[in-house]
Amino acid sequence: MAQLLRPVARTLPWWTLAAGGGLGLLLAAAPRLTGDGASGGSVPTALRAAALAFALGAAFWLDDPARHTTAAVPARRALRHGLRLALLAPVAALWWTAALLLVPQPVRPPVAGITVEAATALALALTGAACAVHRGDGTRPGPAVAGFLLVTAVLSPLLCPEDWALFVAPGDERWPAAHDRWAVLLGVVLVAGAACLTEPLRRHRLRRLRSPSGT
Amino acid sequence: MTPTVSASGLSLHFGRTRALDDVSLRLSPGVTGLLGPNGAGKTTLLRVLATAVPADRGAFTVLGHDPATSGGRQEVRRRLGYLPQTPGFHPDFSAFEFVDYVAILKELTDRTARHREVRRVLDEVGLGDVRGKRVKKLSGGMRQRVALAAALVGDPEFVVLDEPTVGLDPEQRMRFRELIARAGEGRTVLLSTHQTEDVAMLCHRVVVLADGAVRFDGTPAELTARAAGRVWSSAERDAGAKAGWRTGTGSFRNVGDPPAGADLLEPTLEDGYLLTLDGAGAEVTA
Repeated sequence: MAQLLRPVARTLPWWTLAAGGGLGLLLAAAPRLTGDGASGGSVPTALRAAALAFALGAAFWLDDPARHTTAAVPARRALRHGLRLALLAPVAALWWTAALLLVPQPVRPPVAGITVEAATALALALTGAACAVHRGDGTRPGPAVAGFLLVTAVLSPLLCPEDWALFVAPGDERWPAAHDRWAVLLGVVLVAGAACLTEPLRRHRLRRLRSPSGT
Repeated sequence: MTPTVSASGLSLHFGRTRALDDVSLRLSPGVTGLLGPNGAGKTTLLRVLATAVPADRGAFTVLGHDPATSGGRQEVRRRLGYLPQTPGFHPDFSAFEFVDYVAILKELTDRTARHREVRRVLDEVGLGDVRGKRVKKLSGGMRQRVALAAALVGDPEFVVLDEPTVGLDPEQRMRFRELIARAGEGRTVLLSTHQTEDVAMLCHRVVVLADGAVRFDGTPAELTARAAGRVWSSAERDAGAKAGWRTGTGSFRNVGDPPAGADLLEPTLEDGYLLTLDGAGAEVTA
């Protein structure tokens, strides 16, 4: 496994992560840059947007142009994807710490809660990518996963019922309940993601593969 | 002799499209050619046999291992080389680095022995001199050879090659034929191709696939013999021919059921293939 680390690190789409991460840091710093840092009204939205930007960059993390060439090797897909995720984890942790530090401490939302939200966004992106690889045949599922994530992020605040609100302000009395829901959502997404890391031995009934000739 | 691959009743559907229909075959050492029109299911069959995609129904073993089990699939993959139809690469890797990466994925863990093996396969495919060159700087033919080297690294016993000569110029194709012939010495090679000349020159056995089903399984000579007495020459296009085309001499070469007294010609493997497809209900184009 140690021998795989370096080549796998070289196969990763660092530039999409850098783009998403850079944009995310800009968004996290936006309240401070625009002078809204004192009131803090826009800080949760800025941090959520920052987390989304990073997650969009991470949606490309499992893209692999050599997927077909390495389709029949004994190294298991779970190991290969696991390595990719292990390489992402410290970068994501460092990036999120930096994003939080860009927000003045007095107006910073409760760190645990907002971190669960960010982790869920990242987990959604990676689970989406893992599912796309698990169920599909493409070498670059990233753009589709990023599009799906963006649409979900835009629609979910609009479509979420009031009783199930997820995007609440830090001072709102619904904050703890909302973050219980975020935690459950994170757990479900992680379980789905873990299931998608494996390579199927049998075909799923609803599998939507296209034949190689496009039929 | 125990066959390298033994498959029975393989079926696979993509939605309502039947890609493989009850395919049964046995493969033994040497080069076996897989012929068929576009959409016949060649690539799908190769991907199933290479364990890249599971079948809906049916069973097969490779070197005695059942890929339908997790352990069996690992064992098969340890002894398998696969060159897909559209091989992808990490373009910033050099040819050596890419094949070395695949070798690590194939569990060649001893670094010194692995590097020796990577150099060996790159020399074998004629890329020894450019092994340090980035893949993105290589020509299409050279990239194809990098993919072949990746398939051959680790000395697999069963090699699956999906249209390896597509897009190559005649000289490159000749070189590839040489490589495939060498790969077939002592190994079982399954070669999918549209080129009947490749099959005629390389293969000890040929399987014709149409509409996902096996339409012919035998030697190239037996496939050619299917057209015996069914190829003829005429001054004008023969309306009764299944296929006919004007040759360089100006006369027409016809394939089908000849009229009485026709000037019969020596059939080729391609003639036998066209007639086999016609019998399968596939469209014959010539």
